[in-house]
Amino acid sequence: MLTTLAAAMLLTLGGAPQRQTDTTIAVPAGASLSVNNFGGGITVHGWTENRVKVHGETGRRGRVEVSMVGNTVVVKTGSREGAPSVIDLDISVPQSMGLTLNGTYADITVDGVQGAISAETVNGEINVRGGKGIVTLHSIQGGVTLADASGRIEVNSVNENVELSNVSGEIKVETTNGEVMLTGIQSSSVDAGTINGDVTYDGTVNDGGSYSFGSHNGDISVSIPERANVTITAATANGDIDASFPLPMTGSTGKHRKTFKIGSGSARMELESFQGDIEMRRPQEMRDRIDRKHKEHGAHENENDNDTSFSFHVDVNDAATYAARYAQAYAPKYAKTYAPVYARSYARAYSRAYRGAHADTTTH
Amino acid sequence: MNDKWTNRLSEYVDGELDSAETAALEAHLETCGRCYATVGELRLVVARAKSLPDTPPANDLWAGIANEIRRERLPDLRDRRDRLVRRRFSLTVGQLLAASIALMLVSGGGAWLAVRSGRSITPAPSVAAFTGRPRITEVATWSGRTDAAIADLQAALTQNESRLDTGTVRIVRQNLALIDRAIAEARIALQKDPGNAYLNLHLADTMRRKVELLRRVNDMAAARS
Repeated sequence: MLTTLAAAMLLTLGGAPQRQTDTTIAVPAGASLSVNNFGGGITVHGWTENRVKVHGETGRRGRVEVSMVGNTVVVKTGSREGAPSVIDLDISVPQSMGLTLNGTYADITVDGVQGAISAETVNGEINVRGGKGIVTLHSIQGGVTLADASGRIEVNSVNENVELSNVSGEIKVETTNGEVMLTGIQSSSVDAGTINGDVTYDGTVNDGGSYSFGSHNGDISVSIPERANVTITAATANGDIDASFPLPMTGSTGKHRKTFKIGSGSARMELESFQGDIEMRRPQEMRDRIDRKHKEHGAHENENDNDTSFSFHVDVNDAATYAARYAQAYAPKYAKTYAPVYARSYARAYSRAYRGAHADTTTH
Repeated sequence: MNDKWTNRLSEYVDGELDSAETAALEAHLETCGRCYATVGELRLVVARAKSLPDTPPANDLWAGIANEIRRERLPDLRDRRDRLVRRRFSLTVGQLLAASIALMLVSGGGAWLAVRSGRSITPAPSVAAFTGRPRITEVATWSGRTDAAIADLQAALTQNESRLDTGTVRIVRQNLALIDRAIAEARIALQKDPGNAYLNLHLADTMRRKVELLRRVNDMAAARS
């Protein structure tokens, strides 16, 4: 059943030894995939074949093990010696396959899979397109995006943004220090919150549905379709409550907690922000705003790119100045990405070097 | 804040009012947003409670929870204890909040116990494990218990954080500080306006977030041991 198509091939890329491994396993219907990769990347694509193909790119000491355990294809990475290696995995799987993906310093990307997906990483982004059934995505230090998924959705980060688009089903989203952006949502049950960031919702408000959006330090912006039947409770301690359309208020508790009933009021929606404003908009208005926000974000990124390219047109005598500017622009990004990955291996390598040097000194 | 129907809402949700009372209450709901919202909350809590697996917690936490609920029970309800016992999910608003927090603490406490015992905890893929935000609010006498649970989980984190790299620990600590600041701000606001339903709810939700974050990080540390 297990056929290894190609073993290791040694390449030299820019002086860094790189190994590539390819392993392909034929899998029965209903098989699942379990991947554990300490550092690097996990990329999974859905394809139409009933086989799992695992392509790994490792350092000299890296190792990729692929095995079939029961009905599960298990992919593990490791190192022949010393610190864990940085390994990039590119895996093709049948589209309906269920996935369990775990990383520590790993970015996780999934595209074109229509099975259940569980993905967790400590320091890395998670970007998933597709998924059906139970979809759970967790990262501590990376942003999480999910698109074109349906089912019971649970997505959270701690220190980054969370973004869902074209997702349907029961949705629960949380982050602590980041923004929550939900667009194109079709759901009767949405629960989304953050401590430090805005929450934006553009989606359906179904009769009998339950919708809850909260932030401590950010604004809450939701779209309310014109024919919605919803009872909205909006509460804020230090912000304002605003709608771009007439809202019939049915109750008020103090200055900052108000209840509105639209139509039959059968759906329930809670909008809460301690420091921020609460805004209710019509869907088109909300989409225009989101588009503007995306454009501004893109322009800001281009601006940053222009800033860095500007440094190439400088007088070489000012190299130090521009080097400092370049470092300032890129250091946080690269430090964040690479420092955790390489810190241990460099610490080990340098400690050996210094031990050796110290031994030489004491011997002589 | 309360009207004559406030303490009858759970009976209404349980279908225990007679037809005349039901009709009168439904007429009242047409004009009272607060009772309307509370009925919605009650239905959510009942649905959530019914959807929970019937598995007892690893440690016998119920005795403490029951004591806390009894302590908060309104005096005029004491002589109705038999009815409360008979009805599985008939709770007052204050008790509901206590129960909501208690469910959360069972979850957090269970994780902590498992971490302490050195067992690896596999994050459950079920959405049911993702405790929703508490929704009903009254006077927040439960916060002391939540503080205790947070203290336990923080102690566990101190023990376990060596299994995580320093960068992750730093980020987690920064985010815990962010939540602490939010909790402090909510508490200050509550001191000025103790009866504010939203502030009680917000404080409960923010503390739940801290419990959830601590539980997740402890789970993660245990999984990487």
